[in-house]
Amino acid sequence: MSRYVSFRDFDWVLLALILLICTLGVVEIYSATLSTKFAGAHLRQVYWILGGVTLMFIVSVLNYQALIERVPLMYLLSIASLLAVEVFGKKYLGARRWVQLGSFHFQPSEWVKLVLILAMAKYFADSKSECTAQDIVKAGALVGVPMLMVLVQPDLGTALTYLPIAIMGLFLGGMKAKHALIILAIGALLAPVAWHVLKPYQRDRLTSFIEPEADSQGHGYQVIQSLVAVGSGGIFGKGTAHGSQTQGQFLPVPHTDFIFAAFAEEHGFIGAMGLLLLYFIVLMRLIQNAQTAPDRAGAFVVMGVVAVLAFHLLVNVGMVVGLMPVTGIPLPLMSYGGSSVLFMFLALGIVMNIRMRRFVN
Amino acid sequence: MWASAPKTPSRRLYIFGALLFLWILAICFRLVRLQVVKYGDFVQRAQRQQNRTIPTEPRRGNIYDRDGYALAMSIDVDSVFAVPSEIHDQETTATLLGNVLGMDPRDIVARMQASRNFVYIKRKIDGETSNRVRQLNLRGIYFRKEPKRFYPKRELAAQVLGYVGMDDEGLGGLERQFDDDLRGIPGQELISIDARRKWFSRVERPPDPGQNLVLTIDQTIQYIAETELQKGMEDTKAIAGTVVVENPRTGEILALANRPTFNPNVFNNVPPESLKDRAVSDVYEPGSVFKIVTYSAAIDQHVVTPEDHIDCQHGSIDVFGMKIHDHESLGVVTIAEALAHSSDVAAIKVGMKLGDQRLYHYIHDYGFGQQTGIELPGETRGLAKPVSRWSKVSIGAISMGQEIGVTPLQTISLVSTIANDGVYTPPRIVAGELPPASKALPVVFHPAQQHRVVSTMTAAEMKKMLEGVVLFGTARRAILDGYTVAGKTGTAQKVDPATGVYSKTKYVASFIGFAPVNNPAITIAVILDSPIGLHQGGQVSAPVFKRIAMQVLEYMHVPRDLDVKSPQRQTLVASTKDSDLTDESPDHLGTPLQDDAAAASNAKATTTAAKPASSNEAAAATTAKISDTKPPASSGTEIAQVTALPPQPAPAGQSAPNGTVVLDVDSGVVVPSFLGKPLRSAVETAQQSGLEINAIGSGVARQQWPAPGSHLPSGQHITVRFTH
Repeated sequence: MSRYVSFRDFDWVLLALILLICTLGVVEIYSATLSTKFAGAHLRQVYWILGGVTLMFIVSVLNYQALIERVPLMYLLSIASLLAVEVFGKKYLGARRWVQLGSFHFQPSEWVKLVLILAMAKYFADSKSECTAQDIVKAGALVGVPMLMVLVQPDLGTALTYLPIAIMGLFLGGMKAKHALIILAIGALLAPVAWHVLKPYQRDRLTSFIEPEADSQGHGYQVIQSLVAVGSGGIFGKGTAHGSQTQGQFLPVPHTDFIFAAFAEEHGFIGAMGLLLLYFIVLMRLIQNAQTAPDRAGAFVVMGVVAVLAFHLLVNVGMVVGLMPVTGIPLPLMSYGGSSVLFMFLALGIVMNIRMRRFVN
Repeated sequence: MWASAPKTPSRRLYIFGALLFLWILAICFRLVRLQVVKYGDFVQRAQRQQNRTIPTEPRRGNIYDRDGYALAMSIDVDSVFAVPSEIHDQETTATLLGNVLGMDPRDIVARMQASRNFVYIKRKIDGETSNRVRQLNLRGIYFRKEPKRFYPKRELAAQVLGYVGMDDEGLGGLERQFDDDLRGIPGQELISIDARRKWFSRVERPPDPGQNLVLTIDQTIQYIAETELQKGMEDTKAIAGTVVVENPRTGEILALANRPTFNPNVFNNVPPESLKDRAVSDVYEPGSVFKIVTYSAAIDQHVVTPEDHIDCQHGSIDVFGMKIHDHESLGVVTIAEALAHSSDVAAIKVGMKLGDQRLYHYIHDYGFGQQTGIELPGETRGLAKPVSRWSKVSIGAISMGQEIGVTPLQTISLVSTIANDGVYTPPRIVAGELPPASKALPVVFHPAQQHRVVSTMTAAEMKKMLEGVVLFGTARRAILDGYTVAGKTGTAQKVDPATGVYSKTKYVASFIGFAPVNNPAITIAVILDSPIGLHQGGQVSAPVFKRIAMQVLEYMHVPRDLDVKSPQRQTLVASTKDSDLTDESPDHLGTPLQDDAAAASNAKATTTAAKPASSNEAAAATTAKISDTKPPASSGTEIAQVTALPPQPAPAGQSAPNGTVVLDVDSGVVVPSFLGKPLRSAVETAQQSGLEINAIGSGVARQQWPAPGSHLPSGQHITVRFTH
């Protein structure tokens, strides 16, 4: 087994696409924060991206198989870090999500995502047989425990992002249609219970997108403002730094969760379609990488990343255009935020890692 | 190799890719719907959010006197507003503003957080404060011009004009009564923030200015009335007073003054007493003035004639067990003499002869117990109870002016009815309305519905008798120089509200008269509430009447109907003593009549006076001259002339002094507004006002000190800053 790894096999096209999206994000962050107290955030975002790219290169030279071997340890560390948040975490805006390490705030729930992707990959790579009910319960528990821990922070949005990891694992792990239907049935039965557990504001957020006008000054406000921003952008948009809804601070958090709305306002339908196309190409490129992965575990890891990225993308954009509830899930690669950027580049690093080893074996 | 594992994941990867594609397609459709199909709706919505429509105050209509002088006008002042989204440090801005504007900075911050694009900080501030705010040069703080109500003549006719609130809403007087017409229709201005957060505005709909109001008031006559009432108040230490000057032919109120008064420019902390328009809202017992009703009714019904003799029973009468005492112990006198000396006994006897029903009929016809319908808010009907509610003694009390409540306006209407040959004319104070932009439009005054109360003959008899009251009765202090005059005094005891009985120290002293007797040009009512010391209508109110009448008649160029300073009248005036003027009051100690002889000899004066009066008929028929020249020192911009129908006496070649009475409210001239004028025009304006200009800079006038509307002695300098 010759272990010849070269950057010649690095997916430069994918990196270029990713960096293009990131650049659009930086410009939009600049535009959206131009005259707010967040002015200058785009520069910090650039530093995060540079850090992320560095991290990506470092991770890409490590052997992902070695990483997967160490999953049990990493999983335990994840649980421990989530516990640490519960105990030492800083409460901010009513939720305990961050741990302060020196001068910077670290959000463990982000890197837990990565560990879960690896854990799912290891679980299904090891089980050679058909996906039994036992497998489903075990995989579900693997994701379910950290998910519940994040849910109590409370951070519904992040907790939900763990779900696609499990689904993707089970889907590719060969879950039978029969089992899928049973899970759906149980889910439907449990939905009212879950509804009851949710806090009232979470419930309002989940329903207000359906009829935002009913509470236009309250929970519907964000949805309406987002729709107005997107809709008033028209076909060609209002131009960078000329989006009146974004600039006039009518649009809430235009540099984080609603960055797609700000982008759609300033660059119009054509801009938004172009951006979606970029994301679609990135996702397709990733799926292609999954197909060429050297082993089953690698394919599972890449698809895990695809699942998380796609979920973020669709839920965030769906929220912006009023097809999904407001959940506080950022748009990956574009929204301002260090944890999110670092996670994306770490994940990409692993994808690159897998790709660079496609001819190894 | 994983590809050989059961259920090839490859196929599932394609399924996943397809689902992804579908989802993205759904989002695309959604984007088409939002950004293409419903684009227009959302653009409108966005604009609605970014824009704020604020109402722009319309310019409130001016109130002019009958000659087109502005009594109430609107001037432009600054209102400070903020565009909060342009302000980065709201706290500092608020602190700086708070210091200058005298506001709590926290309050300012709260205001600024209420809106992103427009919020008033303080409205209608004075020029000096505005300059200080300008000097702060704060980002996001702007000014806009708003009209502010301004009363250039200050206290002049304050209760008539009324006053306005912060939003120029009429709160009193004509301002309230005609608020809907004066106010105009607010406009709309769109305030927007562009993507650079820069503020800009656009006029959506300009405001419609309100209608102008033209009054029957003559500012000069009003000024005379105010000044003389003030002097009368000071001389008599009365607590309140009212003067009304009316044209008896048309019912036009030429002046209506009240004391205490207020300056409508600063209406804060004004006691309600000062805001009260006593002429329409005060109800008092008229006392002897009301005997005009009793006597004219009796003569009209042929119950008595002026020459009939009546026994005044030496000033004592028993009315169904109630003893009434006269102040004078009169014996058998003529009806005319009884009225001249205001005998209560005679009035009661005449009233009883007339009977309840007939007396009430005339009370009603003279307009008592009803509103006159004058265009002023808060008019009361007074108290004139129907016969069914009269007691046995009511006829006695009412005959001499007790048990009845009247307003000053009702009593002047009574006297004017006699002056107007027996035809009642409702008093009116508004000549008409003018459209906002009109200039020099004459306003034709139409008298309200008139009706005859007593016959011309009766009115003529009454005029003669009332002239007698002045010549040798209780009102000798009202004798005019060069004019015949008729009238009636009244001294009514006030009812103490605490005890409900007549006060022995508080009186309402009144004199209501008209001149010249045969062709009356004016009726004047002077009513003083609770004068201290001398308190008889003939003692305190008649002199005020005299001073006003002399000035007003000369001002109006009313032809004299007597020789100036006829020695006979001089004697008459000289022989007047306070004791002779004592009026009636039931429990007043009488004083004996001392100068019967003088009175008898002077009776001739009446007839001689009547002759020249008739020669004035021709002069009276000429129309009032309508001046089309702009009066000097006019503070108004538009001129309205009131033409009265029927005409009032006019100069028509008379030798009467032609000097105009210079209106001098505050011993100075009103500073005109130079704002917006080029230098040349500003200098001309200043010269017209008798002021001089210190010009700074060039271009168009932007600032001036002192502010428009302030008073300055003439010849003073005004600093005007011109900029391009």
